[in-house]
Amino acid sequence: MDSAALLQFAIAGLKNGAIYALVALGFTLVFGSTGIINFAQGEFFMLGGMLAVFFVRLGLPLPIAVIAGVLATAGIGLAFERLALRPRRDSGPLVLIIITIGGSMVMKSLSRHVFGGSELSLPAFSEGPSIVVAGAAIERQAFWVWGLTIIAVVGLTWLYSKTKFGRSMRACSLSHEASRLMGIDTARIVMVSFGLAAVLGGIAGVVVAPLTQTSFDVGARIGVKGFAAAILGGLGNPIAAVVGGLTLGLVESMSIAFISSTYKDVIALVLLLLVLFVRPEGILGRATREKV
Amino acid sequence: MRLLAVCDLSKRFGGLAAVDGVSFDVHEGTIKAVIGPNGAGKSTLFNLITGFDRPDVGSVDLLGCNIVGMNPHKVVRAGISRTFQNTQLFEELTALDNVLVGMHTQLRTGFLGGALRLPWTLTEERRARERASYLLRLVGVEQYVMTPAADIPHGMRRLLEIARALAAAPRLLLLDEPAAGLNNRETQSLARTLYRIRDEGVTIVVVEHDMGLVMEVSEEIVVLDRGRKIAEGPPLLIQKDAAVIEAYLGEEGEYV
Amino acid sequence: MRWTRRRLGITLLGVMGIAIAAVPFLTDDRYLLKVLTFVGVNAIVVAGLALLFGYAGQISLGHAAFFGLGAYMSAYLTTTHQTPWLLAVLAGTGIAAAGGLLLALPSLRLKGHYLAMATLGFNEIMSVLFVELRGITGGNNGLSGIPFPSIGSFVIDTPAGIYLLVWGVAALAFLGAANLVRTRPGRAMRALHGSELGAVASGVDTTRLKVQVFALSAALAGLAGALYAHAVGFISPTQFSLEFSILLVAMVVVGGTGSLVGPFFAAVVLTLLQYVHALIPGLGNDVASVIQDWEVDISGMVMILTVIFLPGGFAALVRRKRIGVAVDGETV
Ligand SMILES: Nc1ncnc2c1ncn2[C@@H]1O[C@H](COP(=O)(O)OP(=O)(O)OP(=O)(O)O)[C@@H](O)[C@H]1O
Ligand SMILES: [Mg+2]
Repeated sequence: MDSAALLQFAIAGLKNGAIYALVALGFTLVFGSTGIINFAQGEFFMLGGMLAVFFVRLGLPLPIAVIAGVLATAGIGLAFERLALRPRRDSGPLVLIIITIGGSMVMKSLSRHVFGGSELSLPAFSEGPSIVVAGAAIERQAFWVWGLTIIAVVGLTWLYSKTKFGRSMRACSLSHEASRLMGIDTARIVMVSFGLAAVLGGIAGVVVAPLTQTSFDVGARIGVKGFAAAILGGLGNPIAAVVGGLTLGLVESMSIAFISSTYKDVIALVLLLLVLFVRPEGILGRATREKV
Repeated sequence: MRLLAVCDLSKRFGGLAAVDGVSFDVHEGTIKAVIGPNGAGKSTLFNLITGFDRPDVGSVDLLGCNIVGMNPHKVVRAGISRTFQNTQLFEELTALDNVLVGMHTQLRTGFLGGALRLPWTLTEERRARERASYLLRLVGVEQYVMTPAADIPHGMRRLLEIARALAAAPRLLLLDEPAAGLNNRETQSLARTLYRIRDEGVTIVVVEHDMGLVMEVSEEIVVLDRGRKIAEGPPLLIQKDAAVIEAYLGEEGEYV
Repeated sequence: MRWTRRRLGITLLGVMGIAIAAVPFLTDDRYLLKVLTFVGVNAIVVAGLALLFGYAGQISLGHAAFFGLGAYMSAYLTTTHQTPWLLAVLAGTGIAAAGGLLLALPSLRLKGHYLAMATLGFNEIMSVLFVELRGITGGNNGLSGIPFPSIGSFVIDTPAGIYLLVWGVAALAFLGAANLVRTRPGRAMRALHGSELGAVASGVDTTRLKVQVFALSAALAGLAGALYAHAVGFISPTQFSLEFSILLVAMVVVGGTGSLVGPFFAAVVLTLLQYVHALIPGLGNDVASVIQDWEVDISGMVMILTVIFLPGGFAALVRRKRIGVAVDGETV
């Protein structure tokens, strides 16, 4: 394989990896403030893309439709937290898992009713031919993917480390009980993190929609991959999510380059299982123990 | 006869020496108490002995066999049962079922035998129920046989956990603050229960803050402070020990 | 008093058993029998999942994959290798159990959401493999012409016969599970769910127990899958998707944790939702198709609402009414 072709695969990997990173960031956010895995995270991705297409079809100009898509997704995320999760927020993780699984089931199925069962596509954000670098072509949309990912990571890192809200969030991840005693409004923190997670999922969904088509049933697969990325890096910090996402994207596209495209999804999933089994705290994570 | 020999046991959590070079023996048929201020390392010591935590150095010998590094469920088979400072009952199970789970190591029914209800499974079940009822009577919670653990009053829950620990037919029983949250009358009856258990041939080590109970039931006391053993001996001597008084006065004088 | 209540329960179960057994003698509607056969198949899977999730508190989002493993194994062996039916079904059960074992061994260290993700990942991997291992699975076209169940020259080729076969197995599965939960291994499972620390302190080898329950419930799913393959004669990858796994979990959640009867009824109701038209003859076509179309939404909503408003599922509701005992909220 010549170097241009290899570069092409690497670029594809980094592009998909950035998407995985965005979804992984959503997992990390919710995990950070609630300690649970949000099984509906992939559906936020699906909703972002589908809603944007829906708004374009309503006749809104593309930029407005895209923003509206992301905001509507955020609204759904907030509503989901408020209506379904909050009533049982003091229950064990299994209860909350079940609720997010049920939520993803309903979101997906309702989308089929609202948006139909066929594949839909969104116009590219900026028009024009691909940009050629060292023999490899890069779609313009890919720069949107990277740009938004960078903004998301920088924004989140800033939020976590520099703002009062971020500090409250980290306190929440350690102990809800203690945070409440310290006067932190944990309910608000949880709700906002769901909203933000939905925004991240939504952004990933709209930015990728012009590259690949989207449909009501894309959520589960991207959800697992985003989770794989989050786990790979180590759940809990934004940088780890990005490292995990890019690693996963590159591994996937190199496996297409050198093995075959048939099993590319399997490879991501096998990687997930391996990391879960061998090092559940992730590449960058630290091992934690439970106190008896 | 020496039943348990703890030798130079140490465990650090980060920079904190939770248990630091602790050694003592437990003789068969006795009741021994482990006392010390909050955070002295008493519960950690129990975790190290029962395999719930691994010591950094040191050994624990049960009848001459080193049990350090054994999985906790194997330690139960080896003959040591325990209760927890925060009771770990099976809340939805009845008192009887809680004790029957405690008999796990004493029974043999497997998946096949259980699913098929083989004749000898039924025999074993019947015997197990008899034994469990006996243990519930022994600790005095027989009136709650069919009550889910969640609905049993606090004091009785501690006793139930003791019954469950006894169900494994241990040679050594470790109790972590069994009198916590009990009223005077309940504590008195706990003391009698401990004697009854000892008279059944079970050796007891008890971690306890209630000095009245400790002084009454124990033949020997080990005192821990900040992970180290600062004294060991019969109650009367411990009460007069300068280092012990110092350790407690440094914390909360009310204990002694 | 207790004894009479128990006798009442046994009587009710007996009546139910007779009713189920009587169905093929009361109707010869082939389609209805087929639908009810599917209900029996799902009930078998749910018996295993109720043990794993409802009793031992271990979640699995991969049971559709075990179901598929059993189905493909048995279908492949009988169609291409002319393996006797009974052997093929056993092989299907066996490979699902082995898969369960392989997945459980490393997974048991994982708790709650990690286990859920690991099993979900497994289901997705199997979904891809069911399509891509064309030589064995027939790819997207699936496998067809799967022979009827037979032992020697005795072939069960009527809908009524297959119905009775499947429900016979389902009855055995529930009977065995009901026995199990009331003896040593079952108590250990419930203990594990209640307090893992307490279970360990009672001498339960929790790791081993989790593997055993996981493998057992995977085996039941595989068995159901194998029976299913021979009952319909045709299988394809879409039938073993993640959705089915989730639907199975929904059945246990809605039916109730720590119960077998509850999940059984939930399995019946949620399975029949897809086939309402076969059940209620007078039902208009449009109503039936709406219900079918919204079946997933209904199942999902019912699952969420159950968890929010009825922790412990419908079984807990019945239990609470009966004994007047407040069941602790943390039962799921
Ligand atoms: N898993 C752990 N990780 C970190 N520190 C721990 C852990 N377990 C115990 N510690 C620390 O070790 C010290 C000893 O704790 P331990 O629970 O053994 O004390 P204790 O004597 O039982 O106290 P108490 O009377 O309050 O029960 C304490 O400072 C505690 O904070
Ligand atoms: Mg303690």
